[in-house]
Amino acid sequence: MAIAALFLLSCSPGKKPDEQAFEKSLDSASNQGPTIDDEVIGSILDQIPSPLEISALLKKSGIKYNASLLNSPDNLPKYNSNFKMALNLGIYGTDLGYTNIYEQNQGGIKYLSAIKDLANQLNIGQFFDIETIGRLATNSKNLDSLLLITTQNFNSINEYLQQQNRSNLSVLLLTGGWIEAMQITCQVAAGNPGHTELREKIGEQKITLEQILLLFSFYENDENMASLLTDLKALEAEFNKINITYTYKESSMEVVDGVAVIKDNSTTTIDITDEDVKNIMSRTNSIRNKIIS
Amino acid sequence: MKRIILSILLISIASFGSARLVGQCDAENLSNACIPKLSGGFNFLKSYKIDGQGGAKDKIEYSYVFTKGTQYMINLCAGGNGPDGLVVTLYDSKRNLVASSKVNGQFISAIAYPCNATGIYYIQYTFDGSATYCGGSAMGFKR
Repeated sequence: MAIAALFLLSCSPGKKPDEQAFEKSLDSASNQGPTIDDEVIGSILDQIPSPLEISALLKKSGIKYNASLLNSPDNLPKYNSNFKMALNLGIYGTDLGYTNIYEQNQGGIKYLSAIKDLANQLNIGQFFDIETIGRLATNSKNLDSLLLITTQNFNSINEYLQQQNRSNLSVLLLTGGWIEAMQITCQVAAGNPGHTELREKIGEQKITLEQILLLFSFYENDENMASLLTDLKALEAEFNKINITYTYKESSMEVVDGVAVIKDNSTTTIDITDEDVKNIMSRTNSIRNKIIS
Repeated sequence: MKRIILSILLISIASFGSARLVGQCDAENLSNACIPKLSGGFNFLKSYKIDGQGGAKDKIEYSYVFTKGTQYMINLCAGGNGPDGLVVTLYDSKRNLVASSKVNGQFISAIAYPCNATGIYYIQYTFDGSATYCGGSAMGFKR
């Protein structure tokens, strides 16, 4: 049996060609390994909320679609390093989610094409079935399927990158997506002063930023990530002015149609002023401009 | 002769491999099967694999930042009709109990959580009299 196993092993290349190409294509900077176990990084990455939640909030609040808030797909040729490609893949991912939620099919197709291009260059293009997504995007009746398939694609990419011990790209992808969602929310909030829910939505991003900073702290040896970490810490300084107070109160529950429906009695209060929003927006825009330019 | 020996060896390996597959937990398949079972209006966010490794693991935990004003649904899928002793319990960042899918001794297949307090929450899966220690779960949100 051992001989047969050796025989089988000798026939197996060990790594698929796309994996080899992927590893070869990485920047030297992004080859710097993390100082902590990949499983820990994976569990923190898993916590980061989907930018789709913010887009859904904006639409539900009656905020109109605004394409000028997004990063133009025409900027694609600017992204030549894996660092920039991964960040902008996250940014375009958020933009795609935003256009999908607002059922802006034509805009969505442009973002999809940019995403596919970046994903191919990062050798993770196999996760995007552009034909299926493109077909779904042509009909607004397919919105649910479109959102489902694109979310699944991004989840698969993150899982794949972590399996390949390339969580750094996953961190960049999620950070890019978060920065873009932050930027959109801040711009919308600035145009709608007094919109408490939007202001609070910005304030509560303090929790997510803490997780992102924790992730970046594992890659301090990576020059590009260390530079971005410095900018994110400046953003953190603005968030430190915001107080989030959590009060726990036992919840109650009832079963309705086979679903346990919880009544959450806990609360959070978020103390954030319009001035805080302005400062956070300024820092966020500065970071985003570095990423997309 | 060499060919015969090699064939016997390969068949032995294949049989050994398939024997191992019997009884293995296909948590990925079960978590994917859970996605379409999310109630209407919920947008898919995450799927979770629940592999108790035949009872060797008594809990599997994930975490997520839930946000105020958003309603989340977490459902459970096991091989059969019900959740097969699979329980999902939600804890806040300070490990206070927020929700459980085991209500008055009854195993429920899904929980709906309209979040009123933003923060990190722990999504813990445990087994209570489970036959397979295997399942999947999907999480969705709606505003």
